[in-house]
Amino acid sequence: MEPLTGMGVLALMGAAATIAGASEDLESDVGSQSNPNSQVQLAPQMMYPHRIHSKAVSGEPPSNALMCAIGGTTASVLITTGASAALALAIGAIVAAAIHGTYSATAYMGRSASQKRFKQPVYLDVMRSHIPVIMGYAFITTFCILVVSYLMATVLAHPFPLPLLAFIWGITVGAIGSSTGDVHYGAERQFQNVEYGSGLNAANSGNIVRKAESGLRNGIDNSWFCAKFGGPVTGLAFGMTVFLSGWITTVFDATKGDAIGWVSVIAGIIIVLILILWNRNMEVAARAAYGTYKEDEAEAEVAA
Amino acid sequence: MIDVAGILMQNILYVILITLGGVLISWSVHFVPVGGAPAAMAQATGIGTGTVQLAAGAGLTGLVTAGAMMQITNNAALVIASGAAGAMIMIAVTMIVGTWVYIYGVGCPPASAKVKYDPITKDRQDLYVSQGTEGHGLPTVSYVSGVIGGALGGIGGSVVYYSLMSVTNQLALADLVGMASVFAVGIFFVNAVIPSYNIGGTIEGFHDPKFKRFPKAVVASLVATLFCALISVLAIGGL
Repeated sequence: MEPLTGMGVLALMGAAATIAGASEDLESDVGSQSNPNSQVQLAPQMMYPHRIHSKAVSGEPPSNALMCAIGGTTASVLITTGASAALALAIGAIVAAAIHGTYSATAYMGRSASQKRFKQPVYLDVMRSHIPVIMGYAFITTFCILVVSYLMATVLAHPFPLPLLAFIWGITVGAIGSSTGDVHYGAERQFQNVEYGSGLNAANSGNIVRKAESGLRNGIDNSWFCAKFGGPVTGLAFGMTVFLSGWITTVFDATKGDAIGWVSVIAGIIIVLILILWNRNMEVAARAAYGTYKEDEAEAEVAA
Repeated sequence: MIDVAGILMQNILYVILITLGGVLISWSVHFVPVGGAPAAMAQATGIGTGTVQLAAGAGLTGLVTAGAMMQITNNAALVIASGAAGAMIMIAVTMIVGTWVYIYGVGCPPASAKVKYDPITKDRQDLYVSQGTEGHGLPTVSYVSGVIGGALGGIGGSVVYYSLMSVTNQLALADLVGMASVFAVGIFFVNAVIPSYNIGGTIEGFHDPKFKRFPKAVVASLVATLFCALISVLAIGGL
């Protein structure tokens, strides 16, 4: 393949992946999924009933992998019957979003109903307002992942079948969303009632913020907040993963010989070394800027 | 009738390689700094997700890279190294963005609660742990440990995939790739789950005392993967 074509396809894949990452994180914020949902489930037990949607369908990676595999399989079947790729991918994403919507509804009812003894109501208006938003985000995520997988399978001639590529990228986007954007929701948004700049004190577990900027807080308020930082950075993380892992093999094309293939591996290692140094740089800057949380006891004794 | 003994004898090298790949995956999971649910609330050092999730995310990204490379070269070392590079990139990118969120979104510096000094940078850790938490973020030692875990997981996944693709068979290439990749993903998950019982939700990396428990998981993975290897080699070799 022409290097320029390869780079163009890779750029398109990176852009689609960035959108997929952002929408994946915001979907998990609206519905409240993954690890921060432990606090949403804990809150009623600590006598803090709330109006936040709770959908622990499963961990984010399996749930996104399921969505993407359903979308990929549907699209793949439609393409073999002669449907155009754009239509097939869109219909695949719609089917996946509909199934995800079903799980979101049953998960919310199940979770909330099981907390009846803690006086946690099941809000039908929360379901009506949140599930279409969840499905909308799920559609965007699945469609973008299918675009990435379709481009890989057809233009870049990746040997894996479309549904399997979609499954793997679904696992990866879920793992990234769960590792990055969710922390913004879990450690910051849910606990804006405590002073900024520390981890959650175990004593505050379950005491999540229940009042919104206006009225009572719900999942859509959370996605509004997380869309300012957690969502976009998740998008960047997934976009960077798809782009960089493809970039090393596109620029240093191993079809021209094994030696170029080894250069691509070295390029990957150099990227990782740069990231290690960047992490260290941020660590030093954060320690200098924020300082310590407590005094060194030995130094305090000497001073006394 | 499938000649079970014949297929196994013919592909015994691949059975051994798949088993070793599985063991590598199991070992690699112990390096990945995962804090589980507490880390998502900045209550524990590491990445705010589960062991299986992150290890699988990294390893499978490596598998995608290895699959692409295997189609253009027969050089086993290059395929395996590409898998390692893909997995390392995924985990390194995830961790760096995780650090952005901990530092700029949550406002806490990376700190480990398991050691007083970072073994790599020698930085003091305990003073930077906020009250009521078991550390937060990704100090350098955890970051480097995660990269090593990603690399080993990528190598393990690629070895499994390469071995499955090399089993003697009469399948069309598209069918072989489909079966080998699905088996590789399955074997990856088996070996990502086994160590999570060892880790019990959170581990900071190779400096964490829990890391020393890895031999138990490695032995368990050896047994489990051997069965997976026998079944996958028979399935592919018998078709």
